[in-house]
Amino acid sequence: MIRRLVPAVLAVAALTAGCGSSDEAPPLDPDKLTIYSAQHKNLVDAWVKGFTDETGVQVQVRQGTDSSMGNQIVAEGSRSPADVFLTENSPAITVVQDADLLAPVDQTTLDQVDPAFRPSNGLWSGIAARSTVLVYNPSLVSEADLPASMMDLAQPEYAGKWGAAPAGADFQAIVAGMLEMKGEAATSAWLDGLKKNAKVYQNNIATMKAVNAGQVPMGIMYHYYWYRDQAQTKDGSKNTKLHYFKNEDVGAFVSVSGGGVLKSSKHAADAQKFLAWITSPKGQAAIAASKSMEYAVGMDQPSDPALPPLASLEAPAIDPFTLDGPAVIELMTQAGII
Amino acid sequence: MTRLVVTGVSASYGSTQVLHDVGLTVEGGSTTAILGASGCGKTTLLRVVAGFHAADAGEVRIGDRTVAGPGFAMPPERRGIGYLSQEGNLFPHLTVAGNIGFGLPRAERRDRARTAELLELVGLPVALADRRPEQLSGGQQQRVALARALARRPELVLLDEPFGSLDAGLRSTTRRAVADALSAAGATVLLVTHDQDEALSFADQVAIMRDGRFVQVGAPKEVYSTPVDRATAGVLGELVILPGHGDGDHVITILGRLPVAGADVTGAVDVAVRPEQVLIGPAVGAVGSVGAVDAVVDAVDYFGHDALVRIVLPAGPEGPAPVVFSRVVGDDAPTPGQLVGVSVRGPVQAFPHTVVLLAPTDPT
Amino acid sequence: MTTTTPGRLAGPAPRRHPSPAGGALVLAAVLVTAVSVLPIVVVLVNALGQGWSEAVADVVRPRVWELLRNTVSLVVVSTSACAVLGVTCAWLVERTGLPGAGWWRVLLVAPLAVPAFVNAYAWVSLRPAMTGLGGAVLITTLSYYPLVFLPVSAALRGLDRSWEDTARSLGLGRWRTFARIVLPQLRPAVLGGCLLVALHLLAEFGVLAMLQFPTFTTAILDQYEAAFDTGTGSVLALVLVALCVAVLTIEHVWRGRRGHARIGAGVIRRPEPATLGRWLVPGVSALAVLVVLALGVPVYSLGHWLTTPGATVDGSALAAALGSTIGLALAAAAVTCVAAFPVALLLRQRQSAFTTSIERLCYLASSLPGVVVGLALVLLAIRWVTGLYQSATLLVIAYAILFLPRALVAIRTALAQAPGALLESARALGDSPARAVVRVVVPLALPGILAGLALVFMATTTELTATLLLAPTGTQTLATGFWAASSSLDYGAAAPYAVAMVLLSAPMTWLLLRQRTVIA
Repeated sequence: MIRRLVPAVLAVAALTAGCGSSDEAPPLDPDKLTIYSAQHKNLVDAWVKGFTDETGVQVQVRQGTDSSMGNQIVAEGSRSPADVFLTENSPAITVVQDADLLAPVDQTTLDQVDPAFRPSNGLWSGIAARSTVLVYNPSLVSEADLPASMMDLAQPEYAGKWGAAPAGADFQAIVAGMLEMKGEAATSAWLDGLKKNAKVYQNNIATMKAVNAGQVPMGIMYHYYWYRDQAQTKDGSKNTKLHYFKNEDVGAFVSVSGGGVLKSSKHAADAQKFLAWITSPKGQAAIAASKSMEYAVGMDQPSDPALPPLASLEAPAIDPFTLDGPAVIELMTQAGII
Repeated sequence: MTRLVVTGVSASYGSTQVLHDVGLTVEGGSTTAILGASGCGKTTLLRVVAGFHAADAGEVRIGDRTVAGPGFAMPPERRGIGYLSQEGNLFPHLTVAGNIGFGLPRAERRDRARTAELLELVGLPVALADRRPEQLSGGQQQRVALARALARRPELVLLDEPFGSLDAGLRSTTRRAVADALSAAGATVLLVTHDQDEALSFADQVAIMRDGRFVQVGAPKEVYSTPVDRATAGVLGELVILPGHGDGDHVITILGRLPVAGADVTGAVDVAVRPEQVLIGPAVGAVGSVGAVDAVVDAVDYFGHDALVRIVLPAGPEGPAPVVFSRVVGDDAPTPGQLVGVSVRGPVQAFPHTVVLLAPTDPT
Repeated sequence: MTTTTPGRLAGPAPRRHPSPAGGALVLAAVLVTAVSVLPIVVVLVNALGQGWSEAVADVVRPRVWELLRNTVSLVVVSTSACAVLGVTCAWLVERTGLPGAGWWRVLLVAPLAVPAFVNAYAWVSLRPAMTGLGGAVLITTLSYYPLVFLPVSAALRGLDRSWEDTARSLGLGRWRTFARIVLPQLRPAVLGGCLLVALHLLAEFGVLAMLQFPTFTTAILDQYEAAFDTGTGSVLALVLVALCVAVLTIEHVWRGRRGHARIGAGVIRRPEPATLGRWLVPGVSALAVLVVLALGVPVYSLGHWLTTPGATVDGSALAAALGSTIGLALAAAAVTCVAAFPVALLLRQRQSAFTTSIERLCYLASSLPGVVVGLALVLLAIRWVTGLYQSATLLVIAYAILFLPRALVAIRTALAQAPGALLESARALGDSPARAVVRVVVPLALPGILAGLALVFMATTTELTATLLLAPTGTQTLATGFWAASSSLDYGAAAPYAVAMVLLSAPMTWLLLRQRTVIA
């Protein structure tokens, strides 16, 4: 008797427990402004709060990652429910731009942003920026032994001495910059070197923590992870220091986060308002306030005081709007990294 | 009392035809046993009568209702039959009482008196009513299955080798209990079996089936003593085969000139003798001898209640020494090596001579 | 008490019975089977869609050789280790005078309640240096050896001593008897368990991503993340499917068709337990070490991270993930069991070329890894069935495809409790076919069906790979929430998700112990 009852009891219990829960994410409310965001959640949340408080426009956000979200929008095409697309790096929004899915951004919005951080075609705007850095563990490698250029890391003498997260969109943007600066042959050779000599991690945080833990002396990532960790518990970075390559080196590449309005948007006016707000002084101030530690791109807008000024980083003058994401994927596939 | 009439039934499984134009009548209140080897089609016929299998042709009538005919077949639940299978198939999730009451209308299901009555009918104690099937022995399970089938007072009861899975000891007591219950219930019974003892003892009429056809139908005694052919004779019991020569209503064998049951025969024949017909007595010439032929006892298989004696007859002009078997009461069993006189009692069967590939030393 | 089930060597073969609604049943079963095999078709079409030469170029890359090397070495080493561990433990528990055998049985099966990626998290969070093949083999072996242990111990329990007695009477010593008589009889159980282990390894993602050991699964997900729907990912998926089919074939060939002839049914007589003597202490110690490694480490690690001060736990996010997980799992359990029904009923019928091919296709579909199913459904939704794109329905369909084989086994077993002969008896007693099903089949099959529902439910709560690919953006399950946290090495935040998953799948251990066959 008991034998027969227990599975029945289990099933009934499960059913009643499940009754009160929904089985999918709340469906997108067609009346709200829909943002597809690949940017970090806490920054976007701060922007949304500020925007809604000031304008009263209701917003809903779908989080994702650069490449998959960008490709998703392209796949959805004109059916996409997205009104605004925010990215971490420019290749992803370039993909959407090249699929002819972006509407031109209001000129007033564009005027708020430093021209270095937006495309001349006016189809999207930079909303924040981040710099490539070399994070290193001083107990494992001295400052004198650090490579002069990021290109040097592919050399055999650095075998096993550095790590990165090449499968992620962040690193792929850096390689896209390299491709633009050095051309396909050199990039290909460098990627071969990466394959042979570098340790592969899941993402930037894992890279930083690995350097911190002494598993590998150096790592390539974006600057803000380090500053964020330093502002909090320092658990992931207390044994590390940052090194900026400068000299317009490939390793000084500054990546632009992009924001655009979809042509198919049903709330075009509100979407433009949103972009306008986040690139306004208030919006750009929110970057510092949210402690995301990314750089502001608004005209004459200051970034978080803990960060070295962007101008001092001597970033290479690449046009970030022609970065070819798919070509990088192709090169990485050929090199056997992904 | 309901009569079962089966006429011209043919049935097949897929492309294999299993029953060929089969006909049978079971008189009301009587029991018929269909006897045959595995695969001869007897179970198929039972399933056609029960309604579990559709016949290709022919008609089945239960009482005055035609339950199966050309182009139609009444579903089993409407035929008013009782069905007992080899495994009993009691419902494991119900008690004995629950099983017995399964086929009854809901109002009657709880009737403990009826359950008790049925349990008594099949010879089981009423206390078993609340047990579960897995707590019963095989014989008890079969009896409960019978009670379950009889609960609805069916006109016709079908038994599909119901005692096959029981231990030998249980088999005969269960058989007797089932037979008593069925006759007390006055049901018409059709039994299917491959066991000749069961068929001969249980039934009023025995139908021998081979390859989807009935080869002989009749009372047990008739079928046993006058089988229609040698193979049928072999199905019903042990045989001893001797070569012989037909001489009208007698046949000449090494054991003498023996009367033939059935038609006159001439020419070379195979003479079939039952071991119980072979008598052993003192050797020819000794005091009180009755026998026709002297022979030496080769071996004795002692079973307690009886014994099977293997006797080697003197070799004839052609062929090896014939061997016969004699069944005697246990106390009268001779000893190996003893010289005895062998004779035959009663008429024997004679069949046209067929070449047999088996050595003629084993009883068929 | 006399046994009443006749040995099947006597008596007629069991009859298969035609079921009432023939046409509709066949259609439903065909539909379900078609959907199960659909992922292979989609992936194939997408892979070849980029052109034959492109597809070939994708396969013949050094990267693919590297992935193949990694995958094959992982599968071979880990499966062998699981086989050895599983058989040894089963022998110790079932065949020796080991004290507390009942407890050992539970403890040795319990690691199944801990998903492999949680196990990896437990180890890596304590010892981050654990990477590469060695780490992967250790963790997967500790996670999957119960899949061999369970069927082998069930098989050992069912062995009659008569074979071994016969061998000993013919002059074979104890060890040779074990090697030549017992082990061959364990072969189907060992091979079946190893097959499950191998398929799990081929489908494994979480463990290998955490240990930075690239295999086809991690590579497919990387391709998806980077490029969404290029043919390269599909080509890798095809190679993975080919590996799965290879594993299926190898197991089938090694298992062979040898049966075991035994005259007469009867009660199984258990062999005398072997005394361990001076091997008792080493034996018990070895088992204890195994339990500590397989069970103790995850428990300790989870406890450690849960109680670490300053662990950031987002209660509302966890609650939302829990709600989503339970909701999805309930839907998946219901859909899967309903889908399995027509196939189970069809396979009960008389065997024909048609039912055999259905059975074979379902068997093939049972080997598909979550990543292949997920990828195929994403591609399908993007290209053709756009209404389903980014919907929970699609995810539930993925779960149904992945777990249909388990539901099928459970439901077939459940229906076997009510063989056709019982239905015939019911019909002879006056019930129409429908009433007979309600009064006889349902009460007997219900416990088994509920067990099937429960198993699918629990399997869904810990599914990671397909969920990562298909969850609608905005929906977080326990598994994806755990993954998000542990990817950032935020172990404290990941712990509550892990604990929730372990608690939800713990009842599975108990259910599996009660079964005779492993269907996990």
